Amino acid sequence: MPRAARVEGTLLCLVGPHRLAFEANEVASIAAPGGSWVSARRAFREAAGAQRVLVTLTGEAVGVDGLEIDAEVLSVLPPSPVVAGSSGGSLRGFVVTRGVLWPLVHLDGFERYLRTLGPEAA
Amino acid sequence: MAALESETRQSYLVFACGSSWYAVPAEAAAEVVTFPELTRVPGSPPHLLGVFAHRGEVIPVVDMSLLVGGVTAGSRRAVLVRLPRGTLALTASSVAGVSPVTGALEPLGPSGVHVHLRGPGKSGARDVAVIDPEGLFDHLSQGG
Repeated sequence: MPRAARVEGTLLCLVGPHRLAFEANEVASIAAPGGSWVSARRAFREAAGAQRVLVTLTGEAVGVDGLEIDAEVLSVLPPSPVVAGSSGGSLRGFVVTRGVLWPLVHLDGFERYLRTLGPEAA
Repeated sequence: MAALESETRQSYLVFACGSSWYAVPAEAAAEVVTFPELTRVPGSPPHLLGVFAHRGEVIPVVDMSLLVGGVTAGSRRAVLVRLPRGTLALTASSVAGVSPVTGALEPLGPSGVHVHLRGPGKSGARDVAVIDPEGLFDHLSQGG
């Protein structure tokens, strides 16, 4: 039986009223919005906006509204096939922390997905 | 005719979502739950209201009314449909119980989700659409 996937070090982000998590080692840096970035809010059909941007290892940036770092080791619950294709296939699964579920996505794949949604005023 | 007779002997869980009534084979209907606050899935379509954790599984909640082009039923109750590949929660504004369904039970449309809804069906005096759970699961898994 395969071992359950785990993540150690997670960025827990608020995106409007929604939650989103990224594995910390996929994030090169955290910065203030500036230059070119895409808003994670667009994945929830909300107007673009951000307070912080997460910079990928290749220099692209995704905007979120708030974030905190969770250093715990978290188990990743697999996504149902019904939602596995969401966000261009960047959804890895879900983690449970702070008493609630957080969708865990690959930052680079999520950034590419957001760009497929078309231009935005950022 | 044999298929029809087989259908009419089967038991279904009959429930409403908005103004429409649906039926799922009773053997696939695991339970009726009141779900907690949902977690939205980024990039998901509007009829996928979100997910919740239930007995170690993350279950997607689907609003059948939105899926067929109506307005949301706004219910916090759902019928859990358990399949070998996973569980679906279908929002239910009312649950009538388990009963047989009679009728021709032909696909209600040539494409989209209506391929996986069969009718016209009757459960007592109610007009119901019979859900093909496996087909619906496939449809949703393909982004339907």
